[in-house]
Amino acid sequence: MSSVKIHTPPVRLAKLLRTPGGLPVAEAVQRAGAGLESLKTDCLGELKTVLEAAEACAARASDAFDADLLAELYGVVSKPIGVPSVCGLASMDTALISLSDLLDYLKGQQRWDANAVAVHLRALRLLLHTEGAADAAGTQAILAGLRKVSQRYARPSGA
Amino acid sequence: MGLNPESRARFNLERASVLLLEESPMGMSILVQILTGFGAKTLHRCEKVEEAKDAIGKVEVDLIICDALGASGAGYDFVEWLRGSRIEPNCYVPVLLTAGHTPSNAVARARDCGAHFVMAKPLTPIAVLERILWIAREGRRFVECDTYMGPDRRFKNEGVPSGMVGRRRDDLHGDIGQAETPNMDQEVIDSLMKTRRVEL
Repeated sequence: MSSVKIHTPPVRLAKLLRTPGGLPVAEAVQRAGAGLESLKTDCLGELKTVLEAAEACAARASDAFDADLLAELYGVVSKPIGVPSVCGLASMDTALISLSDLLDYLKGQQRWDANAVAVHLRALRLLLHTEGAADAAGTQAILAGLRKVSQRYARPSGA
Repeated sequence: MGLNPESRARFNLERASVLLLEESPMGMSILVQILTGFGAKTLHRCEKVEEAKDAIGKVEVDLIICDALGASGAGYDFVEWLRGSRIEPNCYVPVLLTAGHTPSNAVARARDCGAHFVMAKPLTPIAVLERILWIAREGRRFVECDTYMGPDRRFKNEGVPSGMVGRRRDDLHGDIGQAETPNMDQEVIDSLMKTRRVEL
């Protein structure tokens, strides 16, 4: 059994947070929200670029499993997770997570499913252009469908 | 937790030195907008692990918000390096680790790298503030051993896992044994708690 040292180091942040001045929680959250709002246009531009890169990457895939291509596509789609929510496109974040899950499962099973990837990419393009909120029920149906597709590979036995 | 976004309670991040490690420019912009909205003025922005390591050696930081950095999980390695670096006081600093997607093979690394909290993206201002206030709590124990250095990962005091021997001096030992009588009925327990008039 290795020796274990347990101690309580001082946390300077705790003291700083308590110093007089600062901001009320409500004002801080409102200011941060306003700051995020200012990024909206840039975020939308970034998402369009990401989607084009993901589509181009998927188009290069053959029917066979290609670990490098899968890793590249995973990198492209997992990196922007969190960006769509800044533009009010939380549904796109959910779809990106579903696609990242799918690619992670496929990697683990050394498989490739072009249709499952393509349906995610088409859904992402749709969600990007319809801005989600227009049809909440329709958006939820799309996301539920994507989830079903990615979860088919969640078990080691696969689809 | 549940921090009320309408709360008038005050906090002060003006004098805190915050290190941000995020390779995506848009991800960095999101973090900067959130932190500056909270009133933080000193932000050390690092896009690469090497920049962050360099900063750790040069300046004292009070909080680190670090991304997992994709499938490579270089963010986890950075936190592990930080804890093991013994660069005081930075090696004990609260770390909030953010992750867009955690691949199945990285879940254990995320848990064991030594971060105070792993937060899934998308980030919202209220959730980030809630976590900052939570990880800044004083009195959080730090564990140092051959295989781990970081904040105590035991959130709940549920005792030693079943079938294992406790590794800590304050872990209770002993065989609890089988129950000798049936569990008390809930009505009986309630009746014990209920206030009753007693006639003497």
